[in-house]
Amino acid sequence: MKEAVESRELFVLDGLDVVVRGTYHKTPSDISGAQSNLKADRIGVLFVSSLFPTRAGNGDSSVYWADSFAAKGYPSFRIDCPGFGDSDGDPPPDLFAYLNHGGHAPILSAKISELIARFQLSGVLIVGLCAGAVSAIWTAAASADCKGLILMNPYFYVPQAVRPNFREKLSAWSLQTRFGGILSWCFALLKEVGLFLNKKSLPRNANHLLLRKFKEMASAGLPTLILNNKNRNTPGSKSKTGEFDYLAHVLKLAGRRGEVVVRSVEGADHSLSNRVGRMGARQHAEQWLDTFFPLTECEDTAASSTRRDPGESGRAYRDQILNCN
Amino acid sequence: METQCSNKAGASELARYFAVAGAHLYTVLHQVSHPVARALLIGPLAAERHETYHPWVRWARYLAARQIEVLRFDYRGMGESTGVFEEMSFENWSEDVQLLRDWLGRQTPRVPILLHGLEIGGIFAANLFDKGYGDALLQWSPPSSANEALRSNLRHWAGLEQLYQSSENRKTASDYIRQIEQGEPIEVDGYQWSARLWRESFQVVPPSLSNADVAFRDEVKRRIGAVKLNKDASPLVRPHLRVDEVRDLTWLYAKTFNWVAEVLALSTGETNEGSS
Repeated sequence: MKEAVESRELFVLDGLDVVVRGTYHKTPSDISGAQSNLKADRIGVLFVSSLFPTRAGNGDSSVYWADSFAAKGYPSFRIDCPGFGDSDGDPPPDLFAYLNHGGHAPILSAKISELIARFQLSGVLIVGLCAGAVSAIWTAAASADCKGLILMNPYFYVPQAVRPNFREKLSAWSLQTRFGGILSWCFALLKEVGLFLNKKSLPRNANHLLLRKFKEMASAGLPTLILNNKNRNTPGSKSKTGEFDYLAHVLKLAGRRGEVVVRSVEGADHSLSNRVGRMGARQHAEQWLDTFFPLTECEDTAASSTRRDPGESGRAYRDQILNCN
Repeated sequence: METQCSNKAGASELARYFAVAGAHLYTVLHQVSHPVARALLIGPLAAERHETYHPWVRWARYLAARQIEVLRFDYRGMGESTGVFEEMSFENWSEDVQLLRDWLGRQTPRVPILLHGLEIGGIFAANLFDKGYGDALLQWSPPSSANEALRSNLRHWAGLEQLYQSSENRKTASDYIRQIEQGEPIEVDGYQWSARLWRESFQVVPPSLSNADVAFRDEVKRRIGAVKLNKDASPLVRPHLRVDEVRDLTWLYAKTFNWVAEVLALSTGETNEGSS
């Protein structure tokens, strides 16, 4: 039994009396033994778990992405958030309220500091899916060591109260019958018209605090990649007809100085974990990494990543992506 | 790197890789200082691993807090273990269980060993016990064959998929079964199932431990427990809960622990109560 194999290493972050467990995916230069030549400017990619799927992610998709990014030269780390997976503790009773209001941010911020000290990183790019993406935004706002964000299907609202029983039954019926499907489509279309007429107003259940945090970071130029599984037939960058287009909204929030890029992964499921989804997400993320955090060759051929001004190429890339959407 | 850490109860959780042919298994040993028994937790496959992980880890901690040393793991090609899922077979996964049981059996001091399988893990555990390994066998919701478990997973996943797919793209579980029986792989919850895996699954069945024709001694029968969990035990079994629900399964852990303590004649005090 051993703690490390050629390409991976298990680790524990136990500062502040909070035990967080994770897996480190080594870069080729780490594997070849060039660790002693690590440069201070190497940036790690940190995957934070989302609710109950462990740090491996749905269908082990986070393992796949971490392997891919590490193979490119970005040291990658996956951790189970406190109370989940192999990490210690228990989830709080009102889980969504806790997560949506940044409950994990203080401890994750502290864990990032530990990670940086242990693995000699200059900063991290935080990757999160769904609720993990929400935690990633809050953590980025709390940590000066966060240099960028990859948000997979983030949501910017708080869940509504439990729907009445008849609404649940109506939804189920609309999915099961053709007539119900047509009615559902008509309803979505009416909502779409309503949104068009009221385009300036946020929905009542918008997570205003989260949007404010996002705006602060994005408008300050924090590079952010948002990946979603947009439906081909849906207008704008939203995933479903009749929904408020939060992604268009956050792009506006980012303003002219913002480095926010939105990309859609066609054919992906919600967790982007199916074959098409994971490969598409990987390609978009690697393109984004190449643009905003290009790898620089260091002495002794040890690869490391360093943040640089994205400059014209970054802006051109962003413009290209925005035009695509 | 340090991977050992003590929880509040004083039990250490050591995450380690265990070498097998062509891969490394991710294992977590819930180590206790003076174990009265050891348990090998043999979990379900693929997507079921994620659904059941939370209560499975808490069960391991519950046992460790009561002086039972626990080893849990991920099968080859899944979760934190290395290897490629679609290249694996039931034989590989059965071998994983066997190798870890052997490792556990070599630990000192020698104490009784419990084999505890959840869902398809119950079949692997039963087959191992049938070969004479382990002092007690416990199964939670074992299927009648691996194929039954796969079908159940598929039905569950296909049902959920229908909620997200447009009407023209919707496929039923029967459609997927037809596809895989025609030799084409299918993708279920991020895992690619090969037609070979599907065919093999029909052959993976538990031994006839309770068959009246088999001359089991009463003593052996007494050390076998099989429990079909109901929805009160979700998310260990379907229906899995909403993602924001956290359920306290202490009642199940306590009941099961009492059975284990009785069957293995353990004299364990609950000295580490409060950690689970």
